[in-house]
Amino acid sequence: MSGFAELVAATHFSFLRGASAPSDMVGRALALGLSGLGIADRNTVAGVVRAHVAWRGTKRRAEEAGQTVPDFRLVVGARLVFADGTPDIVAYPLDRAGWGRLCRLLSAGNLRAVKGDCVLRLDDLLMFHEGLALIVLPETSGEPPELHPDPPDYPREPEAPLSLVQPPGLSALLDRLAGVAPGRVWLGANLPHHGRDARRLAQLATLAEAARVPLLATNDALYAGPEARALHDVLSCIRFGTTIAEAGKRLEANAERHLKPGAEMARLFRAHPQAIAESEKLLAMIDFDLDQLRYQYPSEPVPEGWDAQDWLEHITTQAAEARYGTPLPPKVRVKLDEEFRLIRQQRFAHYFLTVHDLVKFARAQSPPILCQGRGSAANSIVCFLLGVTSVDPLQYDLLFSRFVSAERGEPPDIDVDFEHERREEVMQYVYRRYGRHRAAIAATVIHYRPRSAVREVGKVLGLTEDVTARLVSTVWGSFARDLPEERLREAGFDPDQPELRRLMLLVGQLLETPFPRHLSQHVGGFVLTEDRLDETVPVHNAAMAGRTFIEWDKDDIDALGLMKVDVLALGMLTCIQKAFVLMRQHGLGEHDLEVDLAADDEAVFDMLCEGDSIGVFQVESRAQINMLPRLKPRTLYDLTVQVAIVRPGPIEGEMVHPYLRRRAGEEAVDYPSPAPPNDPDELRNLLGLTYGVPIFQEQAMKLAITAAGFSPEEANQLRRAMATFRNVGTISSFRDKMIRGMTARGYTAEFAARCFKQIEGFGSYGFPESHALSFARLVYVSAWIKCHHPAVFACALLNSQPMGFYAPAQIVRDARAHGVAVRAVDVNHSGWDNRLEPAGGALALRLGFRQIDGFREAWAEAITGARGDGYASVEALGQRAGLPRGALSLLAEADGYGTLGLSRREALWEARRQPEGELPLFAAARARELGEEPAMALPAMPASEEVVADYQTLRLSLKDHPLRFLRPALRAEGVLSCAETSAAKSGKRVRTAGVVLVRQRPGKGNAIFITIEDETGITNVLLWARRFEAYRRAVMASRLMLVEGEVQRSREGVVHLIAARVEDRSALLARLTEGEPPVPLLSRADEVKRPVEHRHPRDVRVLPRSRDFH
Amino acid sequence: MARTRPPGFAAPADQGPLVLTERQRGAVRLVACAPEAVALGIVPGLTLADARARVPELAVLEADPRADAQWLEAIGDACDRFSPIVALDPPSGVTIDMTGVAHLFGGEAGLVAAVEARMARWSDHLRHALAATPEAAQALARFQTAPAPSEGAALRRLPVAALGLDADEARALRQAGLKTIGDLADRPAAPLAARFGEGLVDRLDRLLGQAAKPLDPLRPPPAIQVERRFAEPIARHDDALGVIEELLGEAAELLEARGRGGRAFVARLYRSDGRVFSLAIESAQPQRAPEPLMRLFRERIGALADPIDPGFGFDLIRLNVPRLEPLGPTQLALEGGAVATEAMTALVDRLSTRIGRGRIKRFAPRDTHLPEQAVLALPAVELATPAPWPSPQPGEPPLRPLHLFDPPQPVEVIAAVPDGPPQRFRWRRTLHEVARYEGPERIAPEWWRRAPDKPGLTRDYYRVEDVRGRRFWLFRHGLYEAESAAPRWYVHGLFA
Repeated sequence: MSGFAELVAATHFSFLRGASAPSDMVGRALALGLSGLGIADRNTVAGVVRAHVAWRGTKRRAEEAGQTVPDFRLVVGARLVFADGTPDIVAYPLDRAGWGRLCRLLSAGNLRAVKGDCVLRLDDLLMFHEGLALIVLPETSGEPPELHPDPPDYPREPEAPLSLVQPPGLSALLDRLAGVAPGRVWLGANLPHHGRDARRLAQLATLAEAARVPLLATNDALYAGPEARALHDVLSCIRFGTTIAEAGKRLEANAERHLKPGAEMARLFRAHPQAIAESEKLLAMIDFDLDQLRYQYPSEPVPEGWDAQDWLEHITTQAAEARYGTPLPPKVRVKLDEEFRLIRQQRFAHYFLTVHDLVKFARAQSPPILCQGRGSAANSIVCFLLGVTSVDPLQYDLLFSRFVSAERGEPPDIDVDFEHERREEVMQYVYRRYGRHRAAIAATVIHYRPRSAVREVGKVLGLTEDVTARLVSTVWGSFARDLPEERLREAGFDPDQPELRRLMLLVGQLLETPFPRHLSQHVGGFVLTEDRLDETVPVHNAAMAGRTFIEWDKDDIDALGLMKVDVLALGMLTCIQKAFVLMRQHGLGEHDLEVDLAADDEAVFDMLCEGDSIGVFQVESRAQINMLPRLKPRTLYDLTVQVAIVRPGPIEGEMVHPYLRRRAGEEAVDYPSPAPPNDPDELRNLLGLTYGVPIFQEQAMKLAITAAGFSPEEANQLRRAMATFRNVGTISSFRDKMIRGMTARGYTAEFAARCFKQIEGFGSYGFPESHALSFARLVYVSAWIKCHHPAVFACALLNSQPMGFYAPAQIVRDARAHGVAVRAVDVNHSGWDNRLEPAGGALALRLGFRQIDGFREAWAEAITGARGDGYASVEALGQRAGLPRGALSLLAEADGYGTLGLSRREALWEARRQPEGELPLFAAARARELGEEPAMALPAMPASEEVVADYQTLRLSLKDHPLRFLRPALRAEGVLSCAETSAAKSGKRVRTAGVVLVRQRPGKGNAIFITIEDETGITNVLLWARRFEAYRRAVMASRLMLVEGEVQRSREGVVHLIAARVEDRSALLARLTEGEPPVPLLSRADEVKRPVEHRHPRDVRVLPRSRDFH
Repeated sequence: MARTRPPGFAAPADQGPLVLTERQRGAVRLVACAPEAVALGIVPGLTLADARARVPELAVLEADPRADAQWLEAIGDACDRFSPIVALDPPSGVTIDMTGVAHLFGGEAGLVAAVEARMARWSDHLRHALAATPEAAQALARFQTAPAPSEGAALRRLPVAALGLDADEARALRQAGLKTIGDLADRPAAPLAARFGEGLVDRLDRLLGQAAKPLDPLRPPPAIQVERRFAEPIARHDDALGVIEELLGEAAELLEARGRGGRAFVARLYRSDGRVFSLAIESAQPQRAPEPLMRLFRERIGALADPIDPGFGFDLIRLNVPRLEPLGPTQLALEGGAVATEAMTALVDRLSTRIGRGRIKRFAPRDTHLPEQAVLALPAVELATPAPWPSPQPGEPPLRPLHLFDPPQPVEVIAAVPDGPPQRFRWRRTLHEVARYEGPERIAPEWWRRAPDKPGLTRDYYRVEDVRGRRFWLFRHGLYEAESAAPRWYVHGLFA
């Protein structure tokens, strides 16, 4: 026992001020043997749960190892920084009620400010001071705050009607507080080593004595150890928006603001030993820790007079009888009873009912909002019967105990996806039903990512933007977690240069921790409580109007056992719902997500087996399309595997090929067995459904438990360690443990290593089985619509854009390939959305105005509203629908006057004559002026130019493919079409050209996948990374790419072109617009003109950009 | 006439093709690219990051539109010698009205040859055209690609862009399939005017010579500039100085009218054989009175290592005032205060001009914790108004001594570990017994100026007073144990 507790310690949740993680602060305090640590961040408690978890973990590990638990106390509070010039005050709740008041105090300040700030006044503290211990610091560290211009509607604390004007000065404040909160006020003093410390300390001691307030020793710590000074300086510079060279005296002069051991503090404060003793006195008064926060479920979903569990059983049984008939089949009865027992035991009934309540609301809307539970909820028959999920767990034999397990003790996690365009309705319902003071969205901590870290630290170190941009460009993909030296060398930097080493070092520190940047709201995780939520955790304004969120993120909420309901958005649900609405309109029947619940339609699976899946949920990516013919899915469970297998986990774990071989019967299915006396079939039970190959996340975790002897909690820790990459050291210790555990039980080391590799891959991007199963349902439903109603599918997909992998051009092309007639945009036929029109028994797809780049929905409504019997002229359209000239021109550019008998050119010429932005009053008078004019005899537009113009406005053309016009030129060079390439023999060397659709560099980046398209189809190009550097420019810049390479055909008939050479032939595209002005000798580059500012965006782009994922 | 790059504007050596960049809405974008870059598909409008992704070895410079404009102006000036009427045609053209001047150069061909010869040193990429109207000449110079039988035919073949259209108009015409001047000329004018306004039709008429508009020599308002041209070159040194003095008088009037004074003045003497001498003077305060300025010019000439040689004489002398600052009408202060600063300024100016601007210095504070770097001596002419010095709060003792030793002087000290104050110390062989002290003030090294593996030592400063009342500023170099086993001590300064 050192006799000293540091009670003014910040963490990196004091954004850009604190420089150490909460767990590091706790760890250092323990290492130094302090008797306690008080975490107090600036106007926030965002970091306290992490500190709490770190200390709880240390305690538990010590207990498990049978060591003595250190005599240490962690107390949590906040450093109140005031906007009215009051010195900073650190507040610690003495009990649970005090915590509630602190949270309300902070909430009051948060809600006054714009996002991320907190505007506190001394009056607020005086209103909520009860139950708080207060340490007054000598100075304020406040900055002028920014008030929220339009605070959201939130039950507000009443402002004190009268308040005394605080006389300036520390002694007046101490006097006042000591009178208000006798025995709970201290004056905190620190020694910053500024030269006059002794004098200042003496002054403070005199002040304290005069106010009869004890002096408290502290070091006002900003980081754990002095080694963090550089990082702290950099953070300060980011805060000041300056460079390290210019920051000057705004930086701290020295590295003294770290945690110091008790003996050192006693030595520094030798003139005032009582100030050291006071820290323990204060500590002893506090009787609060975060474990006292008891969570209570909201009671709304339970009707008066019912017990929650009884009500849940009641409605579930009713639904079961409606589905399976009375009496219930024994299998159902058994499963229901088992689930009810577990739910009762864990007291989760409220939770299920709350989720059910949301789903019920969504279903009751008109039209209903489609929704589906994802994640492990699919294991539950209760969820199925309550309509939360649409997978019948009886059919797939999923274990409920994986969803809710007695030993995990964590609340279950039911994530519900809603249509993305209508999720807001559900969220507003939550606020309405539970009230803003009881419902709020969880936070997400936004961390520094490699790009942001390099950019900001580089700026501080004075590197030019040019250099940092180049450094950033070496990080391919934002998920790269490090900046390996090799990449730097590739980019032409010398990693040994001091500036760069410094940058790497600091960036490394930011990324390793990882460092939070700010709080943001979670995508849709709601926390609901029975009592006031703002007495459990402070509430903030979100950036989005009308939203509030709490300071704690998902992990914090889990750690404290609060309940979170995820209200997520899924684009595919919107698409499916739109398809159902279209089917209803056109007499194709009523459907919902339970359509074809048995999922046994051969035609659907035949279609998927051919890789015909453009637009289908989850299986439309290039990799998935290649996998479909190899995996040949025939059942819903096959789709489940299909969804999960094209993922980094199974790929990096090298599980894909064994699975496919075994499934095709080319390899014997064997289950590695442990040595006796272990059960030789232990893996057969675990991996039976997947031919002995672990595919799903649960299987990998179970493997660690069954085969390597991990405890379930260890397996979970392992998964989390992977997901956060927190500490390389822990991961390798897990690796050793797993391999040792498996080999000890008689497995081969090679198998063990592969399993571990897979877990590594799963950490961040793994799919649990039940989650994949929920998704597989959506795969099946979307494939079912595509298979039986291709026009409906294409129409719904286009109306739900942007979503999925493909641009409208590919969706339309695919629809036409499936025999759907597609009709052009037309002022006399189209609406805003794409529509279906009867076409001789079938349905034709009529493109809508939404496909026109830059067109507005209001214009479209005006056109359809005033259409009557149709428009006879551009002028009539302009006048009746009140459209500005810009809209008329856009329609002309989209060639939308076809039924008026106007060509694109004529229509454009006519549209340009229309008055611009005129008052309707004068429109009629002006109309007479637009009389006959002399004929202009405009030259006819060549077909190729028509196609290009289509692409420029609609991003697709129904007339032709641009490459058709270049074919003669390409043919002359011996270039094959995509169709010819697909038909070529394996091993043949060919040249193919096409428009680039997608460039992708997945996973570790060994290969770059490029998809090119011409008038005959597409070709999949694979370029190995070692060739990439040679062709970097052509690969990155091509719109039109010519690839020379070898055709490679797999046994399933999937063709790849393995690129040997890549050429950028984009210049050819200029030929499409024939008769362009002769290119002046003066090249554009010579002009100082700014093309970006002066040129119309459509001019710059002949073809739409490809969709690149890197 | 088109320009590629001014002389002295060399691309960084042994790098790839040159591009110029500018910040636009948060992104660094290319605004101009060398032909070699264009050949690689690097075109203006790309972001620098995209361009680098394609051609990593690009040489990148920031665009400087102001410098470009000045450059064009300089070229315009240089063309003065061909015709009295010269107009700038930004961003890259100069139009010369050659009415009645061609004979001076032996006809049109001679004039063209003279222009080409003169411009060769300014630009390595020159295009020119002679035509009946300025618009036609400008359009042909910019857009003509192949010889044509007649001026009319050449004009008709030009793209519509030659009309100087904005992007929207150019696009509308192209979409209508009207691509050349000829396409427009053949069609009725009324529909064109209805869609593009009369302006377009006017421009078309002027381009085709069907309407005329005189060329106004338009130039951006110059910084103050006055000049004298001489039909007969003046060859005497003193005459030249006399002219400069007259020009200063003219400039003073212009400056006074604007309420300005000059901080820098440049006199340029153009020798008839093409050589140009430049004399520049600077002043610490804005000035416009000719006499003191003339004195400075004389000082400058006197200090020249390479005297001005009039040779065959100067045919043009020009005076520029590139830096202006507000200067109200002055009045002599009766108390003498203003006069004193003025006298001081005049002294600083004269001394700086005579013995070199770097030799007369003035102290300026710098924002750093390190005491020895907290002050910087700068040329006095640059520091017009000295920045205020940081001062301690009222009632606080000074934390920095009046005198600093550079370098600090080592002393032997007896002090308690780890961070006790000095109890006695020996400096210059004298033992000082410490009576009072305050400290430590701990100042850590500036890690960002040091190699990452050599972080430097932290200093603990103490203000001490010895028994005889003398006050010193001492520091311990290195934290005991953490940084140094036996930290050394230095005396860094003396308090008054």
